[in-house]
Amino acid sequence: MFLAKNLGLLAGALASLASVAFVPGDAAAQGAVTKGGTLIYLEQQPHTNLYPPAGGFYPNGGVLNQITDKLTYQNPKTLEIEPWIAESWKVNADATEYTFKLRPGVTFSDGTPVDAAAVAKNFDVYGLGDKTLKHPVSEVITNYKGSEVVDPLTVKFFFTKPSVGFLQGTSVIGSGLVSLKTLALPFDALGDATKIIGSGPFVVKSEVLGRELVMEARKDYAWGPAKLAHQGRANLDGIKYVVTPEDSVRIGALLAGQAQIIRQVQAYDEKQVQSKGFVIYAPSTRGINNSVVFRPDNPLVSDIRVRRALLHAVNAKEIVATLFSANYPQAKSIIASTAQGYVDQSAKLTYDPVLAAKLLDEAGWTLGPKGIRQKDGKELVLTAYESLPQPQNKETLQLVAQQWAKVGVKLNVLAGDAGSRVADNLDPLKTPVAPAMVGRADPDVIRSQYYPTTRNVLMQKGGISNKVQTFVDDKLNALLEAIAAETDPAKRMALVGEVQAYVIDQGYAIPIFEEPQAFAASPKVKDFAFEAVGRPAFYAVWLAPK
Amino acid sequence: MIRYLLGRVGQAVLVLMVTFTAAFLLLQALPGDAIMIKFMSPDMALSADQIAEIRAAYGADLPIWERYFRTLANFLTGNFGYSIQAGVPVSQQLQVNLPPTLQLASLGFLTAIILTIAIAALSNVVGMSWLRTAIQSMPSLFISVPVFWLGIMLIQVFSFQLGLVSVISPGPVERLILPVLTLAIPISAPLSQILMRNIDEVLAQPFVAVAKAKGASHTWVLWRHVARNAVLPTLTIAGVLFGELLAGAVVTEAVYGLNGLGGLTNQAVGNHDTAVLQAIVVISALAFVSINLVVDLLYPVLDPRLGSKIGMAT
Repeated sequence: MFLAKNLGLLAGALASLASVAFVPGDAAAQGAVTKGGTLIYLEQQPHTNLYPPAGGFYPNGGVLNQITDKLTYQNPKTLEIEPWIAESWKVNADATEYTFKLRPGVTFSDGTPVDAAAVAKNFDVYGLGDKTLKHPVSEVITNYKGSEVVDPLTVKFFFTKPSVGFLQGTSVIGSGLVSLKTLALPFDALGDATKIIGSGPFVVKSEVLGRELVMEARKDYAWGPAKLAHQGRANLDGIKYVVTPEDSVRIGALLAGQAQIIRQVQAYDEKQVQSKGFVIYAPSTRGINNSVVFRPDNPLVSDIRVRRALLHAVNAKEIVATLFSANYPQAKSIIASTAQGYVDQSAKLTYDPVLAAKLLDEAGWTLGPKGIRQKDGKELVLTAYESLPQPQNKETLQLVAQQWAKVGVKLNVLAGDAGSRVADNLDPLKTPVAPAMVGRADPDVIRSQYYPTTRNVLMQKGGISNKVQTFVDDKLNALLEAIAAETDPAKRMALVGEVQAYVIDQGYAIPIFEEPQAFAASPKVKDFAFEAVGRPAFYAVWLAPK
Repeated sequence: MIRYLLGRVGQAVLVLMVTFTAAFLLLQALPGDAIMIKFMSPDMALSADQIAEIRAAYGADLPIWERYFRTLANFLTGNFGYSIQAGVPVSQQLQVNLPPTLQLASLGFLTAIILTIAIAALSNVVGMSWLRTAIQSMPSLFISVPVFWLGIMLIQVFSFQLGLVSVISPGPVERLILPVLTLAIPISAPLSQILMRNIDEVLAQPFVAVAKAKGASHTWVLWRHVARNAVLPTLTIAGVLFGELLAGAVVTEAVYGLNGLGGLTNQAVGNHDTAVLQAIVVISALAFVSINLVVDLLYPVLDPRLGSKIGMAT
């Protein structure tokens, strides 16, 4: 699946490159890498707090991925976990103890060593939080108990319950290792990039808050992921990040040669970029697909027949064809086809308005005078807030609303201010429907998405919302707990398949498309790579001369 | 005069206190707060206990009056608190964003004034009637152009097509050329409309006829007699517009990717970042109050008749 998708991408890139008579080849292998130079990278939004576990926000991840190293490296092609700062590791049989052997000679950019004590402290903070400094707990670390420094280069972590996702959790942006000096700062001071001291291939040299950030390559960097083709220091001398909120200015600047890479290119702008010989990169985020989810606590959608009717009333193919491009494949399950444990559910996701109407009739919702279905004098009118980080989410929801209108269901799409959006999204009565999406390349992402005490997208009782009356799905939660605890990889993947089928069967979620991160780059940019969920990695990037 | 000044300063302090209190109360009345937006968003995946701890650490669960007096005391000692969303002290954000906004607003304002004078003067000096009509209709054109569109067109033409200025890595002067123009053009429109209209009104007054009868040329009358009289209402509008400029550069900043108060406000509003908003509201109020004071003090300089009136009023 992954190969086919990438071949498609490559073909697209080749076609666009052919127009400027440029022949791509693996120049790195030919020894023709040009070293040096500064890359100008245009970001759509300024970064926020750079506490590494807050790296999920793409602008933050784009910065953190260059300046911090991780214990392990997740190969973006195979999704296997490979050595990085940890040379090797051991996990006990029930996944409650992890021992990591660290690479010697690694230092943070302030000169302090990346040793067992520093690594232990990092995970103590990420796993337990720090109340006095206001550091919150990381989403990817569950059941964390504590650490032990066995010797200067050996660190051991303990968990109260099996924590199978932890090994992959050590490879994500949110587990970037930072100096003890950074961890000693309060949470409120970590929005200043110059204060984030990592051991990565680049160091933040200066920053104008909210406007630009200058990174410099570390000349003594010698500890990149062991299996990468590129080793040693970064090829570039530096990177300049410039926040350019306006889409047309980012694209114009790229085409005019004022920048080399831009992030966030909407599907409707792709052709314009490619027709000028520039390249679109659209790495998959490999997690939960861009979807619409229900909050069954709301009586309007508590009936499984209503949810399944609305699932069959959505024409995902039409949405992708109308609003997106080939880089946004139609979803075939709740997780991406490039995600671990993916099982094709497309037979259950058919567009079938006749079946939808039949299910709604059976559930007792009959067409009223205004074309909206009614039951006991109540109209089937649903509400959802648009999600700003998801591409064209408002348009997507509006198209869903049009499709639902055909079967007599009304969906109101609200923009709202951030406060109302967060508050109302915690109340199933106000938001029976919500958009959802998460990027993370481990099955643990499903548990995090649906489990009550984490993201809790279905708004089950037991989460942070005090507005939920009764809704709990014990069967779903048991499956999710099993994913977090199952140490046998084959059994774990079987559980992942089971959850996908269960969520669709219950009509809890309507997956729409697999979300990529879209970048555009000048043809001069070579070896542009991405970590497993599509954040840029500039370590091996180099700029070809004209 | 000193009594007048003291009175005005006292009024200003009162206005600032009222603004501070109103802003504080209004920001508290909004649904949700910055802590909720930052930490209760599903991206953080925190549990109810963890969120309760964070709220306690921020003092968000204290009674409203206690938070009010804490914030007020902090403000008086120059401590504006932290931006919860950006994770930096508000004072650091102001340091980065206030000077560029002041610079952009001042230069934009100055350019707008030059444009205004040029338009008003040309429309009264040029002889050819078609050209005169064309110049007189320029303000209507300027006022109808959306700032957003104007900014993008200027960038497209001067930066991307002609390559004359860089928007991404510009020099210190280069950085300002296009944004200043973008800001100045729509500001110059109402100013020149008012100035031109006032010039026409003053020209119709009897003393102009007298001056002309004594043999003064049209230009002489315009500069020596008319300009001074016609500029007063324009000054009032200019004072109001300058205050608006400070906060109103949001669009210009967004298009050019400049840092400034506009963008900061926009983000802080989006995230209910109360500490940031509180500081911005007070600073904007301070700017408005000072500019109005300056404008009021300028009146008697331009028109001696107003000096005695002020003396009587206070």
